[in-house]
Amino acid sequence: MLRKDLLRVSRAGGGYHPQFADRSHRPLAARAIGVFQGHVDEPRGRLDAALEDLEADADDFKLVRGFAALLERDATFETRAALPPERVRRTVFEAAESVGGVVDDGDRAAALATAADRLGTDVDAVEASLYADRDVNEVLSSFDPRWDPDELLEQYNLSLAQTVLFDATEVRIRSSDPKRLVSAVKRLGLLYEIRRRGDGAERELVVTGPDALFRRTRRYGTAFARLLRSLAEAPEWSLEATIDDRGTDRELHLGPDDVSVPGVEPVAEPTYDSGVEADFARRFANLNLDWELSREPEALAAGARAMIPDFAFDYRPGGTAPDAPALRVFFEVMGFWTPAYVEKKLDQFGSIDDDIELLVAVDESLGVGEEIADLDHRVVTYSGRVRVKDVVDALRAYEDDLVEAAAASLPAELVPEADVIGLESLAADHGVSVDALESVAFPDHERVGRTLIRPAVLDAVDAELDAGLSLSAAESVLEGYGIDDASATLSRLDYRVEWEGLGGGTLAEK
Amino acid sequence: MLTLRYEDGTIRLEGLDESDATVASLPGAAWDDRGLVARAPAWRYADLRDALADRGVEFEDRVASPDAERLSLSHAYDLRPYQEEAVSSWREQGDRGVVELPTGAGKTVLAVDAIAALGVPTLVVVPTIDLLDQWRRELETEFDVAVGQFGGGEQTGGPITVSTYDSAYLRAEDVGGDFGFVVFDEVHHLGGEGYRDAARLVAAPARLGLTATFERPDGAHEVVAELVGPKVYSADVDDLAGEHLADYEIRRVEVALDPEERAAYEEAQGTFVDYLKRSNLSLRSGSDYRKLVMRSGTDPEAREALLAKQRARRIMMNADAKVERLGRLLDRHREDRVIVFTAHTDLVYRLSERYLLPAITSETGAAERREILERFREGTYSRVVTANVLDEGVDVPDANVAVVLAGSGSEREFTQRLGRILRPKADGGRALLYEVVSEETAEERVADRRR
Repeated sequence: MLRKDLLRVSRAGGGYHPQFADRSHRPLAARAIGVFQGHVDEPRGRLDAALEDLEADADDFKLVRGFAALLERDATFETRAALPPERVRRTVFEAAESVGGVVDDGDRAAALATAADRLGTDVDAVEASLYADRDVNEVLSSFDPRWDPDELLEQYNLSLAQTVLFDATEVRIRSSDPKRLVSAVKRLGLLYEIRRRGDGAERELVVTGPDALFRRTRRYGTAFARLLRSLAEAPEWSLEATIDDRGTDRELHLGPDDVSVPGVEPVAEPTYDSGVEADFARRFANLNLDWELSREPEALAAGARAMIPDFAFDYRPGGTAPDAPALRVFFEVMGFWTPAYVEKKLDQFGSIDDDIELLVAVDESLGVGEEIADLDHRVVTYSGRVRVKDVVDALRAYEDDLVEAAAASLPAELVPEADVIGLESLAADHGVSVDALESVAFPDHERVGRTLIRPAVLDAVDAELDAGLSLSAAESVLEGYGIDDASATLSRLDYRVEWEGLGGGTLAEK
Repeated sequence: MLTLRYEDGTIRLEGLDESDATVASLPGAAWDDRGLVARAPAWRYADLRDALADRGVEFEDRVASPDAERLSLSHAYDLRPYQEEAVSSWREQGDRGVVELPTGAGKTVLAVDAIAALGVPTLVVVPTIDLLDQWRRELETEFDVAVGQFGGGEQTGGPITVSTYDSAYLRAEDVGGDFGFVVFDEVHHLGGEGYRDAARLVAAPARLGLTATFERPDGAHEVVAELVGPKVYSADVDDLAGEHLADYEIRRVEVALDPEERAAYEEAQGTFVDYLKRSNLSLRSGSDYRKLVMRSGTDPEAREALLAKQRARRIMMNADAKVERLGRLLDRHREDRVIVFTAHTDLVYRLSERYLLPAITSETGAAERREILERFREGTYSRVVTANVLDEGVDVPDANVAVVLAGSGSEREFTQRLGRILRPKADGGRALLYEVVSEETAEERVADRRR
């Protein structure tokens, strides 16, 4: 964090853009470090003058002062005086009284001589010590910079962004590490609520403080600045803030491209609450199911609190097209915890939004399975470790629901335009799973294996095939009609394949 | 049942439902989605309590800690008639409001009387470390209770606690529920947006503000009236002069810049004025000055102009002739107790080294500044030089001569400094104030404006 008078910000286009340092400022950063290194054993007054000279060379003096403010954290200053200055002052001022007050050079010399006498030293030592402990007279005794020029730029950018947040009245945050974020929010005495953005799929944490309920306040600005430090250690995050810029509200946007933390590698691997969860994640990942497991999903609003489930399963039977239906099932593992914890969890489960699908794995010993099921969530119980099979079965139940729902949205009959079309691509066209097509009739096509083919096409294909034709020749005929499921089609046309050793085969009548 | 609790600068109203119409009808209360609870700002606690009592709503009050002791306090002061009047009209206004009295009229005394009358845990908020020391000393002398302190390197709470505005701002959420009475010395500080929280986040129902000037051009008094209460008593210098305040006399001393200083001054001032002309700024209004400061962030010429202005001011303030003239004034008042003011820290140290005067500035450590003031009070030192840090209400007994070098021209600062030597003197001697200015400079116009 920097002092507010060192803030550099552009309001171009009505926005609020901190003027971050970039690579072009590296030489300036290096010189600032050099000025400190070059003034070890010199008084602060001279260091300050040298930094002021550097300001003249820079396009913005505040940038130099910002660097200097950061570097000063690694500088040690000390008082170098022959005698303790405070004692010298007391003696000198008493001596001045004893000569009847100093009003000219004569009185002054007399008072200093008296003081030197009382202190058992000479007048020069008294004069040199008198204010040796003032800041400007202190000596830079050592300077051990923790940052190299690149890190100084990085730290400057972090500090600058923190300083901007001093004037923030509200921040809105997304993070790939929401658990850590929520605990930082609590630790800093802030309050949050979870808000859905845009189409509702994305959630963000809106962070303010208690008194924000009654007025827009900058009181929590320093806490927001601290929060940024925690936030910026996550690999993926974004922050929007409302800045009270002397009475005008301005929007600030920050992300990992603007701000990072020097010397800290973003933590890519999420941490797990318990060994049960880690174990489950590993075993599930080995199965290669249609469900994709994501760890540390976004926070859910559970009443006034955030609940961050352990995992989410994503199921996209219709592919990743924007309007294809997708299902996200959140998964929470409840291990062996205290009754108070279970109570709190049940309370959370009861207060999350109705349209959220939540699957809960409960340890048998907790004996709360039925209560959770009553709260309209699915439950698997476990003892010791969560059986992947149980979870997969539970997910299948969601799949069945989904198939049912998708099938209900389809007409009873479908007449695709193409002469030949695979069920999978037809399902994708309608944004449903193949299973959902089971209950649909295709009056103009015949279903052959996983392909729909018009009868006229089947007849044409049949006319080109004969017993004794090689399999590869037959396949190229089929391909010519856009049919890639050779074995099902040949079987439908009453051919079988006679295999010849390990090589090809020829068609034969069944 | 409805329960009131203090939480982080707010009053939690537990036991109300979101749909409950009571929430919107209670003073200051609002529904908070973040905790699914109703809250009101802490400073509305008294109103809230009254509103609930008026309606006959039963509630449990957990704001004040149940083991909060009633303090049995008495003091040895003999209040002057106007001090008594001030306290009784404050009490008539429901223990809320601001008393306006000139510096030196004994505002501490009437606050001590109010604290004793209420006998509840009390927080006293003051603007400077010096006042912190002064109040603490006073309260410890009068009352037989532990006096806590927030600020000046100490953070200890007590049934009576003295705090700086800074510490009160920083600690408001932690301690805002602990006091039944809060006194704001130099209450106009609450006009500043940050310091305002020292009143907003504190639940204390009884509130007393003290100031020498209630009405303020920046409108701060409106905020103060809302958070602390209206002006309940006022007396000005003319009402009290002669009777309770020492008589005083102002002497103005003009000194000339030497030729070298004059040339450097003209050059710097010229650079500044040229820039103003070129950029159509007049500096007749504060907003023009802000514009200039803002421009100086990006425009090197504006920055150069601003630096030139600072140079000119420094030359004017540090004029050798002023330093020499101070020597003559000190010579004339060898038998008196002299306090020398200047706004410029570097000049304070120059004067301290030149005339071997004890110095107090923002750089002076708490222990040393306490020692210097103590020694000045008891007579070991007869003179002190200081920057603006003593501006407000610090008690420097028996100083009868003040010398002001290079004043900033703000009216408040000027009167407060005057107040410093308005302490009644034992022998009834006339107090003297010298104002030393440079001839024909911007500074002189400032001094003229004040008359």
